[in-house]
Amino acid sequence: MELSESVQKGFQMLADPGSFDSNAFTLLLRAAFQSLLDAQADEAVLDHPDLKHIDPVVLKHCHAAAATYILEAGKHRADKSTLSTYLEDCKFDRERIEQFCTEYQNNKNSLETLLGSIGRSLPHITDVSWRLEYQIKTNQLHKMYRPAYLVTLNVQNTDSQSYPEISFSCSMEQLQDLVGKLKDASKSLERATQL
Amino acid sequence: MLLELSEEHKEHLAFLPQVDSAVVAEFGRIAVEFLRRGANPKIYEGAARKLNVSSDTVQHGVEGLTYLLTESSKLMISELDFQDSVFVLGFSEELNKLLLQLYLDNRKEIRTILSELAPSLPSYHNLEWRLDVQLASRSLRQQIKPAVTIKLHLSQNGDHNTKVLQTDPATLLHLVQQLEQALEEMKTNHCRRVVRNIK
Repeated sequence: MELSESVQKGFQMLADPGSFDSNAFTLLLRAAFQSLLDAQADEAVLDHPDLKHIDPVVLKHCHAAAATYILEAGKHRADKSTLSTYLEDCKFDRERIEQFCTEYQNNKNSLETLLGSIGRSLPHITDVSWRLEYQIKTNQLHKMYRPAYLVTLNVQNTDSQSYPEISFSCSMEQLQDLVGKLKDASKSLERATQL
Repeated sequence: MLLELSEEHKEHLAFLPQVDSAVVAEFGRIAVEFLRRGANPKIYEGAARKLNVSSDTVQHGVEGLTYLLTESSKLMISELDFQDSVFVLGFSEELNKLLLQLYLDNRKEIRTILSELAPSLPSYHNLEWRLDVQLASRSLRQQIKPAVTIKLHLSQNGDHNTKVLQTDPATLLHLVQQLEQALEEMKTNHCRRVVRNIK
């Protein structure tokens, strides 16, 4: 993991009990995780009365450093020893290292989910709805008497957050073909998971 | 159900008894060909010269025949009804039989052509699939994220287009389950009763 000097400086300040007493440290740590993971976190996350005595510039620097480090660690799936080593290099005492690692461990899953969801992908099918109809006549053709299906796939686009739908009609034979192919795919999937 | 033929229509068809049955059969073939591929006026000229009549007459004769065949096919009228409808034209027994045969021979194909005129949605053509596993991305390393990539081929009015989509294993199973239920629905008593009774 490559981390900038700015991050290192921020952590060194965080390590210093003179700048951050243990209460302030806990609050800042929580604030860092919260602003990354809580969808409803507001900008006032650093506005706690127990942090008011710290210079706002220092506060922001340390908050940014912590957030950056957390994201990098999450991205590379850092383990406890990697975290400890880096924090030791930044002059964290044992207790603060433990605290950081525990907080990281508690939030690891949410962090990885968040990071995993960032990125481009193909439009994603989320659901399907279908309609069965019995066609009787059109203005061009009477006495048709055949069943037909209308299938709608609900699709989600990751980048545009739009929800287009794909609708198509098919006869019974075509639907059987479609279902057959999807079943082949799912059987293949099952076999692949057993390898 | 009897076909109702307008006066104009009857006039156009009045040309048919004046030529021999081979010609009527040929006109029948031309009429169906026009339904398949569209009209070709040059054919009228050639026929008109050979029969020594105006090309308008030939055109009306063929068009009258086309209309007779398409209306009968559209309504799916029975043999008896067809014969009765044509009877009012006062044609010979032989010509009536020829027309009936033309109708019966071409009905299925004409109905297929007519069905293409209905308003249509894109319809399913084919599906291709592929299993993928995402191993890493810019924002997260060391992943194992299975996905199924699907290429759906649809066609509408003769145009093909394809959509490339993706889904996860859980949704795939859900899709299969839902669509199997859709197929099962046709076998239920309710649907069977409807199919039996609406004719």
